[in-house]
Amino acid sequence: MDIWSTLILNPMINSLIWIYSGLAQNFGLAIIVFTILVRLITYPLTASQIKSTKAMQEMQKSKKWQDMQKKYKGDREKLAQEQMKLYKEEGVSPFGSCLPTLIQFPVIIGLYQAIIRALAVTPIQLLELTRHIYPFYNAAALIPLNNYFLWLDLSLPEKDFSLIPSIAGFTIPILAILVVGTTFLQSRLMTPPTTTGDQGANMGRMMNLYMPLFMGYLAYSFPSGLALYFVTSNVVGILQYGIMGRLDWRNLIPERFSSESKTSTGSKTSK
Amino acid sequence: MRHKKYLLFLGFIAIAVTLSACAGAATTATSWPGLTADDKYAYVAYNTQVYAVDLVNGTERWRYPAAPDNNVTFYAEPTLSQDGQLIVGSYDYNLYSLNADTGAQNWVFPDADNRFIASSLVAAENIFAPAADENLYSLDLNGRLQWTFSSEGESWAKPVTDENCECLYLSTMDHSVYAVDAQNGTQIWRSPKLGGAVVGSPAYGENGELYVGTFGGKLFALSSEDGSIMWEFSTADSGWIWSGPTISDGVLYFGDLSGYFYAIDATNGTELWQLPPEQLDGEIVGSPLVIDDSIYITTEAGILFKLDADGRILWSQTVGDGGKIYTPPREANDLILVAPIQVDELLVAFNQDGGRQWSFIPVE
Repeated sequence: MDIWSTLILNPMINSLIWIYSGLAQNFGLAIIVFTILVRLITYPLTASQIKSTKAMQEMQKSKKWQDMQKKYKGDREKLAQEQMKLYKEEGVSPFGSCLPTLIQFPVIIGLYQAIIRALAVTPIQLLELTRHIYPFYNAAALIPLNNYFLWLDLSLPEKDFSLIPSIAGFTIPILAILVVGTTFLQSRLMTPPTTTGDQGANMGRMMNLYMPLFMGYLAYSFPSGLALYFVTSNVVGILQYGIMGRLDWRNLIPERFSSESKTSTGSKTSK
Repeated sequence: MRHKKYLLFLGFIAIAVTLSACAGAATTATSWPGLTADDKYAYVAYNTQVYAVDLVNGTERWRYPAAPDNNVTFYAEPTLSQDGQLIVGSYDYNLYSLNADTGAQNWVFPDADNRFIASSLVAAENIFAPAADENLYSLDLNGRLQWTFSSEGESWAKPVTDENCECLYLSTMDHSVYAVDAQNGTQIWRSPKLGGAVVGSPAYGENGELYVGTFGGKLFALSSEDGSIMWEFSTADSGWIWSGPTISDGVLYFGDLSGYFYAIDATNGTELWQLPPEQLDGEIVGSPLVIDDSIYITTEAGILFKLDADGRILWSQTVGDGGKIYTPPREANDLILVAPIQVDELLVAFNQDGGRQWSFIPVE
C-alpha cells in the first residue's frame, strides 16, 4: 500500500463509511458531515491563510510599498530585494498565504477520491474499495453503500439521474446550479475590494467569473456525490469566513454602485 | 491583458474537458473482460467492443461495433442462445443481441435504467437479464419484454435456474438471494440477510441446494425450497468471496480476496483442503474451472494454475508481464482460455498441459 493511501485515502474512506453507518446509512448525510469535519480539522490552516493574506494586503496598501514600486520601477532585481526586506521588517511571510492552501490541497484531493471510491459502482471500483477497508470493523455489512439521497443517485451525474421530473426531456441540474451560486458567493464575499486597473485585480475578477462556471460544469458532469461535497464545502467556507468577520458584503454590490459609494463615503477596508 | 484573459479561459476549458473525460471513464476500463465460447469461437466483451475470436488460431472473426463508440462499453460475459444469438449487456444501459456468426446487430433492449454488469441467462426460450437498476428483465428471444422483477439491490451475477427452468435464483448486492417464478416474475422466497453482498452467481447442487459466497467472508448452503440456511463455512482471515463456487462431484471449489483457495464438502460444509495465499500469489476473483479431476484457477497476479483434485499444483503459467486476471477461465475445444487485463493480449489460449497455443491482440 502506497503512502498516499496509508496516510490520506484509507483514513478518509474508512471515516466516511464509519460516519455513514452512524447516520442511518445515508451517504448524502455522511458526505455533508464528513466535509464539515474535514473543514473544521483544517480550520487552523484556513485561519492562518486568511490572516497572512490580510497582512499581505495591508502591507501592499502602505505608502512605503507604493513608494518602493515607483522608485524601483525599472529595476526588478532591486525591487525584489527591497520587497523581501520589507517582508522581514513587517514580519510577513510571502508564503504565509499559499502554504496553508498547499497543505490543504492533498486533503481536498483525498476527500474527492474517498467519495468516488466509496461509491464504487463498477466491479473494478468495488474491488479497489475492498483494498482500502480496515479489517477491524464490519464494513462488509455496509457495502455497497446506499447511493440515494434526496432526488439524487450520488454515484451518477444529476443529468443522468434525478427524481425531479424533467421539462421537455431536460433535467434541471439543481445541484450544479447550487454549486455555481455558492462558488460565486464564496469568491465574491472573500475577495477584498481592489483598485480598478490593477492587473492582479483584473485577473482575480476573471477568476471569480470563470471559477463558478468551471465548478458548475464539473458538478454537472461528475457524480452528484461530488457536487454535494462542493456545495457543502462552499457553504462551510463562507460560514468560516463569516465567523472570522472576513466577509466583504460590499463585493456583492455591482462595481459601478460600489465605486459611487466609495466616492461619497470614502474608502473603507474590510475587517 | 486581453491575451491573458483568453489564456485563462482556454485553460479552464482544457481542464474541464480533461476532467470530464476522466469522470465519464469512457475509455478507461471499469471492469474486466466478459468471456464465453462455443466450439468455434471465443467471444470477449471488453471496453468499447465485443470480439469473436477463432479458436483454431486466435484470429479475429468479427468485432462489434466496427468502430468504437466511447459511450457504449461492454464488460458483461456474453451469453449464447441456441438460435445463434449472442446476448451481451452494455454499460450504456442497453442489452444487445448480435448474430454470433457475423456480429450483426439483431435487436437492442433499451428499457433498463442502469448498467448491465451481470451476464444474462438464456433458458427455455427466454432471456433473463439482471441490470444494475435492481431489476431482472425477462425477454423473449426477439427482445420483447415479458415481465420485470424488482429486488432491493443491484445484481451483478448471472441468475441460475433449476432443471425445468421453473425457478430462477438471483443473488444481489442487498445481501440476499431471491427465488423468482420464471413464468411470471413473482417472488417465491427471499433468503435471510447473509451478512454481506452476494456478488457472484449461486452454484446449483444436484439435490437442489444453492451455494453462495458473500462479502461477509462466508459460504452459505441454502435450501432451494425456501431459502433457509442449511450450513455456512467461514473463510480464513474472513476473506471476502467475490465469485460463486464451482461444484463438481459433491465438492465446492472457490477462492477469496485474501488469496485462499478452498475445497469444501457440499453436503455439510466441511473443509477438505485449502491453499494459502503464499502458494497462489494474489486475490482470487473469478470462479474456478473444473474439468474432470483438474481445477483451473486464475489470480490477480496474472497466473493460471492447474491443480489436481487433492489441491496439488500441477503447473502454473503467467499470461504477461504485469497482467492481471479477474475473468474466470473458460474451456473450449480442449483449450483453456484466459482474458487478462493490463497487457496487450486480450485472450490467451493454453492447452491442458500448460502449453501456450496462441494469443489474441486486437488491432487498433
